Amino acid sequence: MDTATQRKWDKASRTLDLFAFAEDRRLGPHKRRLFSKMSGATLMVAAGTGNDFKFFPPSMNVVAIDISPKMLERAALKAATYTGSIELREMDVCALEFAGATFDTVVTACTFCSVPKPIVGLRELRRVLKPNGQILMFEHVRSAIGPLGILMDLMTPLVSRFGPDLNRDTVGNVQKAGFRLRRVENVYLDVVKIIEAVKEA
Amino acid sequence: MSTLIRRLQIAGRRNWTMLFTIGDYLAGMLISVATALVVRALVWPGMDMVIAMLIGMAVGMVLHFVLGLVLSALLGMFETMMPGSLIGMYGGMLFGMRDSMAAGSATLGATALVGAVFGAIVVLGVKIYDRTLRGPVVDAAG
Repeated sequence: MDTATQRKWDKASRTLDLFAFAEDRRLGPHKRRLFSKMSGATLMVAAGTGNDFKFFPPSMNVVAIDISPKMLERAALKAATYTGSIELREMDVCALEFAGATFDTVVTACTFCSVPKPIVGLRELRRVLKPNGQILMFEHVRSAIGPLGILMDLMTPLVSRFGPDLNRDTVGNVQKAGFRLRRVENVYLDVVKIIEAVKEA
Repeated sequence: MSTLIRRLQIAGRRNWTMLFTIGDYLAGMLISVATALVVRALVWPGMDMVIAMLIGMAVGMVLHFVLGLVLSALLGMFETMMPGSLIGMYGGMLFGMRDSMAAGSATLGATALVGAVFGAIVVLGVKIYDRTLRGPVVDAAG
Protein backbone atom coordinates (compact mmCIF):
# COMPACT_ATOMS: atom_id res chain seq x y z
CA MET A 1 0.00 0.00 0.00
CA ASP A 2 1.24 3.49 -0.93
CA THR A 3 1.07 5.06 2.55
CA ALA A 4 2.17 8.55 1.43
CA THR A 5 -0.75 8.74 -1.01
CA GLN A 6 -3.03 7.30 1.63
CA ARG A 7 -2.05 9.97 4.17
CA LYS A 8 -2.51 12.75 1.61
CA TRP A 9 -6.05 11.70 0.78
CA ASP A 10 -6.93 11.00 4.40
CA LYS A 11 -6.17 14.68 5.04
CA ALA A 12 -8.05 15.82 1.93
CA SER A 13 -11.17 13.90 3.00
CA ARG A 14 -11.94 16.67 5.51
CA THR A 15 -12.39 19.35 2.85
CA LEU A 16 -13.41 17.49 -0.32
CA ASP A 17 -17.15 17.88 0.21
CA LEU A 18 -16.82 21.68 0.47
CA PHE A 19 -16.52 21.75 -3.31
CA ALA A 20 -19.50 19.48 -3.94
CA PHE A 21 -22.15 22.22 -4.10
CA ALA A 22 -20.97 23.81 -7.33
CA GLU A 23 -19.37 20.71 -8.86
CA ASP A 24 -22.63 18.77 -8.53
CA ARG A 25 -24.62 21.45 -10.28
CA ARG A 26 -22.12 22.22 -13.04
CA LEU A 27 -20.57 18.82 -13.75
CA GLY A 28 -23.14 16.47 -12.22
CA PRO A 29 -25.32 16.21 -15.36
CA HIS A 30 -22.26 15.13 -17.39
CA LYS A 31 -21.35 12.50 -14.79
CA ARG A 32 -24.93 11.22 -14.72
CA ARG A 33 -24.91 10.94 -18.54
CA LEU A 34 -21.61 9.02 -18.47
CA PHE A 35 -22.55 6.71 -15.63
CA SER A 36 -25.86 5.86 -17.32
CA LYS A 37 -23.70 3.61 -19.54
CA MET A 38 -22.70 1.43 -16.57
CA SER A 39 -23.69 -2.19 -17.04
CA GLY A 40 -23.05 -5.50 -15.30
CA ALA A 41 -20.59 -5.94 -12.46
CA THR A 42 -19.08 -2.51 -11.86
CA LEU A 43 -15.94 -1.31 -10.12
CA MET A 44 -15.60 2.32 -9.07
CA VAL A 45 -12.02 3.42 -8.49
CA ALA A 46 -11.32 6.16 -5.95
CA ALA A 47 -14.78 6.47 -4.47
CA GLY A 48 -13.65 9.47 -2.43
CA THR A 49 -16.32 10.63 -0.01
CA GLY A 50 -18.96 8.95 -2.16
CA ASN A 51 -20.19 12.20 -3.62
CA ASP A 52 -20.61 10.67 -7.08
CA PHE A 53 -22.78 7.74 -5.97
CA LYS A 54 -25.88 9.86 -6.54
CA PHE A 55 -25.08 10.00 -10.26
CA PHE A 56 -25.15 6.20 -10.63
CA PRO A 57 -28.17 4.64 -12.30
CA PRO A 58 -30.46 3.04 -9.70
CA SER A 59 -30.19 -0.58 -8.60
CA MET A 60 -26.61 -1.26 -9.72
CA ASN A 61 -24.23 -3.63 -7.94
CA VAL A 62 -21.03 -1.67 -7.47
CA VAL A 63 -17.75 -2.39 -5.71
CA ALA A 64 -16.14 0.96 -4.84
CA ILE A 65 -12.51 1.14 -3.75
CA ASP A 66 -10.37 3.92 -2.32
CA ILE A 67 -6.86 4.05 -0.92
CA SER A 68 -7.97 6.29 1.97
CA PRO A 69 -9.85 4.80 4.93
CA LYS A 70 -10.99 8.28 5.98
CA MET A 71 -12.60 8.80 2.57
CA LEU A 72 -14.32 5.45 2.87
CA GLU A 73 -15.71 6.34 6.31
CA ARG A 74 -17.50 9.29 4.72
CA ALA A 75 -18.45 7.31 1.62
CA ALA A 76 -20.20 4.71 3.78
CA LEU A 77 -22.85 7.24 4.80
CA LYS A 78 -23.66 8.03 1.16
CA ALA A 79 -23.52 4.38 0.07
CA ALA A 80 -26.22 3.64 2.64
CA THR A 81 -28.67 5.95 0.83
CA TYR A 82 -28.07 4.43 -2.64
CA THR A 83 -30.94 2.35 -4.04
CA GLY A 84 -28.65 -0.47 -5.27
CA SER A 85 -25.69 -2.08 -3.59
CA ILE A 86 -22.31 -0.44 -3.04
CA GLU A 87 -19.58 -2.49 -1.37
CA LEU A 88 -16.72 -0.31 -0.11
CA ARG A 89 -13.17 -1.68 0.08
CA GLU A 90 -9.83 -0.11 0.96
CA MET A 91 -7.50 -0.87 -1.93
CA ASP A 92 -4.74 0.58 -4.08
CA VAL A 93 -5.63 0.67 -7.78
CA CYS A 94 -2.04 -0.35 -8.58
CA ALA A 95 -2.44 -3.61 -6.65
CA LEU A 96 -6.04 -4.78 -7.03
CA GLU A 97 -7.09 -7.82 -5.01
CA PHE A 98 -9.62 -9.00 -7.61
CA ALA A 99 -9.19 -11.93 -9.97
CA GLY A 100 -8.70 -11.20 -13.66
CA ALA A 101 -11.80 -10.63 -15.81
CA THR A 102 -14.09 -9.87 -12.84
CA PHE A 103 -15.88 -6.70 -13.96
CA ASP A 104 -17.94 -5.56 -16.96
CA THR A 105 -17.50 -1.87 -16.25
CA VAL A 106 -14.96 0.30 -14.45
CA VAL A 107 -15.86 3.90 -13.60
CA THR A 108 -13.59 6.71 -12.40
CA ALA A 109 -14.23 10.35 -11.52
CA CYS A 110 -11.19 12.62 -11.16
CA THR A 111 -9.06 9.63 -10.23
CA PHE A 112 -6.08 9.38 -12.57
CA CYS A 113 -4.93 12.90 -11.73
CA SER A 114 -4.03 11.45 -8.34
CA VAL A 115 -2.69 7.94 -8.94
CA PRO A 116 1.13 8.19 -8.68
CA LYS A 117 1.68 5.47 -11.31
CA PRO A 118 -1.26 5.95 -13.68
CA ILE A 119 -0.25 3.44 -16.34
CA VAL A 120 0.31 0.72 -13.73
CA GLY A 121 -3.14 1.48 -12.30
CA LEU A 122 -4.79 1.46 -15.71
CA ARG A 123 -3.12 -1.87 -16.59
CA GLU A 124 -4.53 -3.31 -13.36
CA LEU A 125 -7.99 -2.11 -14.37
CA ARG A 126 -7.54 -3.72 -17.78
CA ARG A 127 -6.62 -6.98 -16.03
CA VAL A 128 -9.77 -7.07 -13.89
CA LEU A 129 -12.07 -6.14 -16.78
CA LYS A 130 -13.73 -8.92 -18.77
CA PRO A 131 -12.99 -9.06 -22.52
CA ASN A 132 -15.01 -6.29 -24.22
CA GLY A 133 -15.43 -4.66 -20.80
CA GLN A 134 -15.58 -0.87 -20.70
CA ILE A 135 -13.93 1.88 -18.68
CA LEU A 136 -15.90 5.11 -18.21
CA MET A 137 -13.79 8.00 -17.00
CA PHE A 138 -14.58 11.56 -15.95
CA GLU A 139 -11.14 13.13 -15.66
CA HIS A 140 -9.25 16.39 -15.83
CA VAL A 141 -6.07 16.49 -17.88
CA ARG A 142 -3.33 18.85 -19.02
CA SER A 143 -4.61 21.41 -21.50
CA ALA A 144 -3.09 21.42 -24.98
CA ILE A 145 -3.79 25.17 -25.13
CA GLY A 146 -0.29 26.70 -24.82
CA PRO A 147 -0.72 29.31 -22.03
CA LEU A 148 -3.04 27.10 -19.97
CA GLY A 149 -0.81 24.03 -20.33
CA ILE A 150 2.24 25.98 -19.14
CA LEU A 151 0.28 27.27 -16.15
CA MET A 152 -0.80 23.74 -15.25
CA ASP A 153 2.82 22.56 -15.43
CA LEU A 154 3.89 25.43 -13.17
CA MET A 155 1.12 24.87 -10.61
CA THR A 156 1.43 21.09 -10.38
CA PRO A 157 4.44 20.93 -8.02
CA LEU A 158 2.52 23.08 -5.51
CA VAL A 159 -0.97 21.62 -5.91
CA SER A 160 0.16 17.99 -5.91
CA ARG A 161 1.40 18.38 -2.32
CA PHE A 162 -2.18 18.33 -1.07
CA GLY A 163 -4.26 17.50 -4.14
CA PRO A 164 -4.09 16.16 -7.68
CA ASP A 165 -1.57 16.62 -10.49
CA LEU A 166 -2.92 19.13 -13.01
CA ASN A 167 -0.86 18.08 -16.01
CA ARG A 168 -1.66 14.43 -16.65
CA ASP A 169 -2.07 13.02 -20.16
CA THR A 170 -4.79 10.57 -19.16
CA VAL A 171 -6.07 9.97 -22.70
CA GLY A 172 -2.54 8.94 -23.75
CA ASN A 173 -2.13 6.84 -20.61
CA VAL A 174 -5.35 4.95 -21.32
CA GLN A 175 -3.98 4.02 -24.74
CA LYS A 176 -0.56 3.12 -23.33
CA ALA A 177 -2.28 0.74 -20.89
CA GLY A 178 -3.72 -1.19 -23.85
CA PHE A 179 -7.28 0.11 -24.06
CA ARG A 180 -8.97 1.09 -27.31
CA LEU A 181 -10.56 4.54 -27.16
CA ARG A 182 -14.27 4.46 -27.94
CA ARG A 183 -15.14 8.06 -27.21
CA VAL A 184 -13.45 11.19 -25.86
CA GLU A 185 -15.48 14.30 -25.16
CA ASN A 186 -14.45 17.74 -23.94
CA VAL A 187 -16.68 18.84 -21.06
CA TYR A 188 -14.88 22.05 -20.06
CA LEU A 189 -12.27 23.53 -22.39
CA ASP A 190 -9.96 20.62 -23.24
CA VAL A 191 -9.27 20.12 -19.53
CA VAL A 192 -12.28 18.20 -18.19
CA LYS A 193 -12.99 15.17 -20.33
CA ILE A 194 -15.19 12.15 -20.60
CA ILE A 195 -13.09 9.19 -21.75
CA GLU A 196 -14.69 5.91 -22.76
CA ALA A 197 -12.47 2.96 -23.69
CA VAL A 198 -12.79 -0.79 -24.08
CA LYS A 199 -10.65 -3.83 -23.43
CA GLU A 200 -10.68 -5.64 -26.72
CA ALA A 201 -11.21 -9.39 -26.58
CA MET B 1 -47.96 16.81 -12.69
CA SER B 2 -44.83 15.24 -14.24
CA THR B 3 -44.81 18.00 -16.90
CA LEU B 4 -44.93 20.63 -14.17
CA ILE B 5 -42.05 18.98 -12.30
CA ARG B 6 -40.03 18.77 -15.53
CA ARG B 7 -40.67 22.48 -16.23
CA LEU B 8 -39.62 23.41 -12.70
CA GLN B 9 -36.46 21.34 -13.08
CA ILE B 10 -35.59 23.09 -16.36
CA ALA B 11 -36.27 26.50 -14.80
CA GLY B 12 -34.08 25.58 -11.82
CA ARG B 13 -31.23 24.52 -14.10
CA ARG B 14 -31.51 27.77 -16.09
CA ASN B 15 -31.37 29.83 -12.88
CA TRP B 16 -28.25 28.01 -11.67
CA THR B 17 -26.63 28.43 -15.10
CA MET B 18 -27.33 32.17 -15.05
CA LEU B 19 -26.10 32.59 -11.47
CA PHE B 20 -22.93 30.62 -12.18
CA THR B 21 -22.26 32.70 -15.30
CA ILE B 22 -22.62 35.95 -13.35
CA GLY B 23 -20.46 34.45 -10.61
CA ASP B 24 -17.74 33.50 -13.13
CA TYR B 25 -17.50 37.09 -14.34
CA LEU B 26 -17.50 38.53 -10.80
CA ALA B 27 -14.82 36.05 -9.70
CA GLY B 28 -12.62 36.91 -12.69
CA MET B 29 -13.08 40.61 -12.08
CA LEU B 30 -12.32 40.26 -8.37
CA ILE B 31 -9.10 38.32 -9.02
CA SER B 32 -8.06 40.82 -11.66
CA VAL B 33 -8.84 43.91 -9.54
CA ALA B 34 -6.94 42.46 -6.58
CA THR B 35 -3.97 41.64 -8.81
CA ALA B 36 -3.94 45.10 -10.42
CA LEU B 37 -4.09 46.88 -7.04
CA VAL B 38 -1.42 44.77 -5.33
CA VAL B 39 0.91 45.01 -8.32
CA ARG B 40 0.44 48.78 -8.37
CA ALA B 41 1.37 48.91 -4.68
CA LEU B 42 4.55 46.88 -5.23
CA VAL B 43 5.84 48.13 -8.58
CA TRP B 44 7.03 51.71 -8.99
CA PRO B 45 7.69 53.65 -12.19
CA GLY B 46 11.23 53.07 -13.36
CA MET B 47 11.54 49.60 -11.81
CA ASP B 48 13.38 47.13 -14.02
CA MET B 49 10.65 45.79 -16.28
CA VAL B 50 11.74 42.16 -16.00
CA ILE B 51 11.67 42.34 -12.19
CA ALA B 52 8.30 44.12 -12.33
CA MET B 53 6.84 41.43 -14.59
CA LEU B 54 8.17 38.64 -12.37
CA ILE B 55 6.70 40.34 -9.29
CA GLY B 56 3.40 40.77 -11.14
CA MET B 57 3.35 37.13 -12.16
CA ALA B 58 4.11 35.90 -8.63
CA VAL B 59 1.50 38.20 -7.08
CA GLY B 60 -1.11 37.14 -9.63
CA MET B 61 -0.42 33.45 -9.12
CA VAL B 62 -0.65 33.67 -5.34
CA LEU B 63 -3.80 35.82 -5.42
CA HIS B 64 -5.58 33.70 -8.00
CA PHE B 65 -4.72 30.58 -6.02
CA VAL B 66 -6.01 31.90 -2.69
CA LEU B 67 -9.11 33.69 -4.04
CA GLY B 68 -9.80 30.91 -6.53
CA LEU B 69 -9.74 28.26 -3.84
CA VAL B 70 -12.32 30.16 -1.77
CA LEU B 71 -14.53 30.98 -4.77
CA SER B 72 -14.30 27.44 -6.11
CA ALA B 73 -16.60 26.22 -3.37
CA LEU B 74 -19.32 28.47 -4.79
CA LEU B 75 -18.57 28.37 -8.50
CA GLY B 76 -16.69 25.14 -9.24
CA MET B 77 -12.98 24.41 -9.24
CA PHE B 78 -12.34 24.36 -12.98
CA GLU B 79 -14.57 27.27 -13.96
CA THR B 80 -12.87 29.46 -11.34
CA MET B 81 -9.29 28.30 -11.57
CA MET B 82 -8.83 28.20 -15.35
CA PRO B 83 -9.71 31.84 -16.13
CA GLY B 84 -8.35 32.85 -12.70
CA SER B 85 -4.93 31.41 -13.47
CA LEU B 86 -4.77 33.22 -16.82
CA ILE B 87 -5.81 36.49 -15.18
CA GLY B 88 -3.41 36.05 -12.27
CA MET B 89 -0.31 35.01 -14.14
CA TYR B 90 -0.57 36.87 -17.43
CA GLY B 91 -2.56 39.81 -16.03
CA GLY B 92 -0.03 40.17 -13.22
CA MET B 93 2.79 40.35 -15.78
CA LEU B 94 0.93 42.92 -17.87
CA PHE B 95 0.08 45.09 -14.86
CA GLY B 96 3.70 44.87 -13.66
CA MET B 97 5.01 45.90 -17.07
CA ARG B 98 2.55 48.77 -17.29
CA ASP B 99 3.31 50.13 -13.81
CA SER B 100 7.09 49.92 -14.30
CA MET B 101 6.70 52.05 -17.44
CA ALA B 102 4.68 54.68 -15.56
CA ALA B 103 1.93 53.97 -18.04
CA GLY B 104 -0.55 52.87 -15.38
CA SER B 105 -3.84 54.40 -14.28
CA ALA B 106 -3.71 57.70 -12.42
CA THR B 107 -5.92 56.71 -9.50
CA LEU B 108 -6.68 53.56 -7.53
CA GLY B 109 -10.24 53.65 -8.84
CA ALA B 110 -9.01 53.71 -12.42
CA THR B 111 -6.60 50.85 -11.65
CA ALA B 112 -9.46 48.79 -10.25
CA LEU B 113 -11.64 49.61 -13.26
CA VAL B 114 -8.96 48.52 -15.72
CA GLY B 115 -8.45 45.36 -13.65
CA ALA B 116 -12.17 44.61 -13.71
CA VAL B 117 -12.40 45.12 -17.48
CA PHE B 118 -9.37 42.89 -18.04
CA GLY B 119 -10.84 40.16 -15.83
CA ALA B 120 -14.21 40.27 -17.59
CA ILE B 121 -12.57 40.09 -21.03
CA VAL B 122 -10.48 37.04 -20.06
CA VAL B 123 -13.54 35.26 -18.62
CA LEU B 124 -15.48 36.05 -21.81
CA GLY B 125 -12.60 34.74 -23.94
CA VAL B 126 -12.41 31.52 -21.93
CA LYS B 127 -16.17 31.03 -22.24
CA ILE B 128 -16.07 31.50 -26.02
CA TYR B 129 -13.11 29.14 -26.30
CA ASP B 130 -14.92 26.60 -24.12
CA ARG B 131 -17.92 26.71 -26.46
CA THR B 132 -15.73 25.97 -29.46
CA LEU B 133 -13.88 23.09 -27.76
CA ARG B 134 -16.82 21.38 -26.07
CA GLY B 135 -18.08 18.10 -27.51
CA PRO B 136 -16.71 14.82 -28.83
CA VAL B 137 -13.13 14.75 -30.13
CA VAL B 138 -12.97 10.96 -30.64
CA ASP B 139 -16.04 8.93 -31.50
CA ALA B 140 -15.11 5.46 -32.68
CA ALA B 141 -18.59 4.19 -31.85
CA GLY B 142 -19.99 6.35 -34.65
